[in-house]
Amino acid sequence: MTAHTMRRTRTAATFATAALILALPAVAQVDLGTEEQRAAGKVVYDKYCGQCHGDTGDGNGYATPRVKPKPRDFTTGTYKFRTTPNGMLPTDDDLRRIIEIGAPYTSMPGWPNLTSAEIQNVIYYIKSFSSDFENPDRYGEPIEIPRPLESTEESVARGRVVYEEQGCGSCHGEVGRGDGASAPTLVNDKGDPIRAADLTQRWTYRGGPTKEDIYRTFSTGLNGTPMPSYADSLEVEDRQHLVNYVYSLGDGDDPNYGTLITAVYSEEPIDLQDEETLDALFESAPMTRFPLVGQITEPGRNFFPPVTSIEAQAVYNRDEIAFRVRWHDLRADTSGRNNPSLEVPMWDEDNGIGGDAADDSGDDFFGDFGGEEAPAEDDFFGDSGDDFFGDGGDDFFGTADAGAGGAEFSDAVALQFPASLAPEETPELKPYFLYGDAQNPVDLWFVNLTYGVADTFRGRGSDSIEPTEADVVEAVSSYDQGAWTVTYKRRRSSRAGVSFAEEQYTPLAFSVWDGFNRERGNKRALSSWFYVYTEPSVEQAVAGPVLRAALIVLAIELLVVFLVRRRARQKAADEEASGATLTAGEAPAV
Amino acid sequence: MWGLNLPIVLALAAIGGVLAWRRAHTLVWLLYTGGALWAFFRFGFAVPIPQSVVTIYLGITVLALVSYASSSRERLAETVQPIQRLILEPRYRLALAGLLVALPGLAAYNAYADLTMPLEAPGFGREIHPPPPTELTVHDETIDMATAENPYLHYKHDDPELYGKHVENGRRVYYENCFWCHGDGMGGDGMFAHGLNPVPSNFNDVGTLPALQSSFVHWRIAKGGPGMPAGGTPWDSAMPAWEKFLTTEEMWDVNLFIYDFNGYEPRALGQH
Repeated sequence: MTAHTMRRTRTAATFATAALILALPAVAQVDLGTEEQRAAGKVVYDKYCGQCHGDTGDGNGYATPRVKPKPRDFTTGTYKFRTTPNGMLPTDDDLRRIIEIGAPYTSMPGWPNLTSAEIQNVIYYIKSFSSDFENPDRYGEPIEIPRPLESTEESVARGRVVYEEQGCGSCHGEVGRGDGASAPTLVNDKGDPIRAADLTQRWTYRGGPTKEDIYRTFSTGLNGTPMPSYADSLEVEDRQHLVNYVYSLGDGDDPNYGTLITAVYSEEPIDLQDEETLDALFESAPMTRFPLVGQITEPGRNFFPPVTSIEAQAVYNRDEIAFRVRWHDLRADTSGRNNPSLEVPMWDEDNGIGGDAADDSGDDFFGDFGGEEAPAEDDFFGDSGDDFFGDGGDDFFGTADAGAGGAEFSDAVALQFPASLAPEETPELKPYFLYGDAQNPVDLWFVNLTYGVADTFRGRGSDSIEPTEADVVEAVSSYDQGAWTVTYKRRRSSRAGVSFAEEQYTPLAFSVWDGFNRERGNKRALSSWFYVYTEPSVEQAVAGPVLRAALIVLAIELLVVFLVRRRARQKAADEEASGATLTAGEAPAV
Repeated sequence: MWGLNLPIVLALAAIGGVLAWRRAHTLVWLLYTGGALWAFFRFGFAVPIPQSVVTIYLGITVLALVSYASSSRERLAETVQPIQRLILEPRYRLALAGLLVALPGLAAYNAYADLTMPLEAPGFGREIHPPPPTELTVHDETIDMATAENPYLHYKHDDPELYGKHVENGRRVYYENCFWCHGDGMGGDGMFAHGLNPVPSNFNDVGTLPALQSSFVHWRIAKGGPGMPAGGTPWDSAMPAWEKFLTTEEMWDVNLFIYDFNGYEPRALGQH
């Protein structure tokens, strides 16, 4: 054997060994469980999973037409949250993670009630829906997730550069509010609309809020979505800097939802036109974040509101009170119509497919677009919503031209107050939180952001909302990088509605309409009743009450000691006088 | 479990056990009872009770403890005896001085905490299961609440296949309409639950479905929040009046399904 052939043989052997080493883990990963395990998994799946993911795993369960993002279609073998390289199948641990903790702010909950064995069985069953899991080539080694780098100024700055160079902002927005230019057009590979994450609200990250989660998403991408993997285009260290930058965009780890706005007192006049002074005024007012959920109580239901929270503050002076609210929206829709009582046809409850392409179902647009995009009436009223929405999404979205014009419905917001405060004998009494009721009406301060001015309505229930002009409510609005800010002002005393006295708890509720999601009328995101508390204008001293409390307790103590001792002395004197003696072991009688 | 914060409850019970074992003095028992109930109201529940309600409960507790202590001359004497000894006996002088300083300090701290604590929205009690009407009319059909039962429940034994069909239809109705609030697993923890007050009912809870007749559940489904008497604070409830969306059969089917899913039976007629 010549040296040459020997070298070749050695090389071949090395290759073979390498191939064997590379192949080994992949082979080991193909683990489809036993028949019994899959059968046991099916029992769990049919009870807990099939309602959304479909009894055949195709992502078409009972709930599917009314949830967004859509439930995973297990027959495709495409999974978003993985530790494996882009395009690969998830590991069992990846699947387990999502089953255990769920995907926040989606219809996928965590399942803490399932045992580890039940989860493993259900994983085996889920894998049986796609033949991809039998193919060793689809398996990849999990990536290594390094410890996060310290979040220094330099690291965050470098991360920012990476963010800009990689064009993250084109989907996620310049400051990360999910409002990038292409955000309204995003779809997954099934053609379903999908939203870029709002990077400022870490608690809504579907794949998890930790730095490790964020790094994993950068490195593996989200299969089937426009979110790519940066494993090839970015060095590990740059990905780590990017993690630090994205993390720095966040508004904290959790939303810290509150139940109360504290309106602070100011001597200053409130001038809505003087932006600078107004901002300075609100600087001193605490901000509270309130949860918003879909209105699903009255017809015109909204099963997937994109806006999940609103922040609010309030200030007041001698005569006036001002409220400021702020929420994130991927696009300002300022050309359509909206008002609190706009009718929502029943079929449109499910029809939140996200794009303004669905506008064509409205009469106004019907003619302009041509018949092709306009869904035939039959589709809407067909045997069930599933068919229509199952494949309807693609058609609608495919013809979307988000940039071309506004939506049919505009963005809007409303504050809601009771028309009068509860009587003293029933302080818990409030109007129905959905636009009031016949006995207890509400006042709505409604701003259609097409016009940006406040209209006032009196609501006596969803079917009885009338414009009212008893009080003048002023408003200004602005949209900046994915965030709407609306500031309201009204006189504190009202002739027909609620007045804001000092140290008063006034019920308050919020509604937000996202025109892009075709929200109008009762199809909205709303809150339950919360409160605004008008803080006393004179600051309360702390020292006085604290000292008083201490002194009162001390006085009582001293009194008790004095009384007990005097009584004991008297008793001793009495006993001495009567000549009786107290034996040592005897306790003093009362 | 049962909406309780189990570690706290178990810890309190354990302290009680130790006291019983050591045959604690009456005064110690009184202090323990007051303190333990405070801790239980304050920390014992998974969903915290509003402070104002806790204050009411504690007021009642103190009244009860005082009336217990003063219920007989002997008990009163026994209760105050350690206090008298503390005040009178010279060897406790240091402890007495400490107490004289500590209690006003505690009161001062409490006053300070009260003044500086973050404000919370006023809380009000509400009846979770308000009394139902005697009759219920849904879609022009009137039933007697005391005697009505889920018309499909008997199929469970008479015709399991038909029963299964009704349950499956109930499953469809549930996952098209209910799980946003009541949750996929029916723990009252759906994706909208965090934004609602009162929180949605937890159907896993052994104290909820099994304690209710199916007619009661039918009433709650058909008439929703707006159909509750004032004690249930109907203005806060997000529970829809499902008669607006569903047929009577669909409502009975989903009623059947939520019992079946959790392996519960409705409370039988006349059972209390």
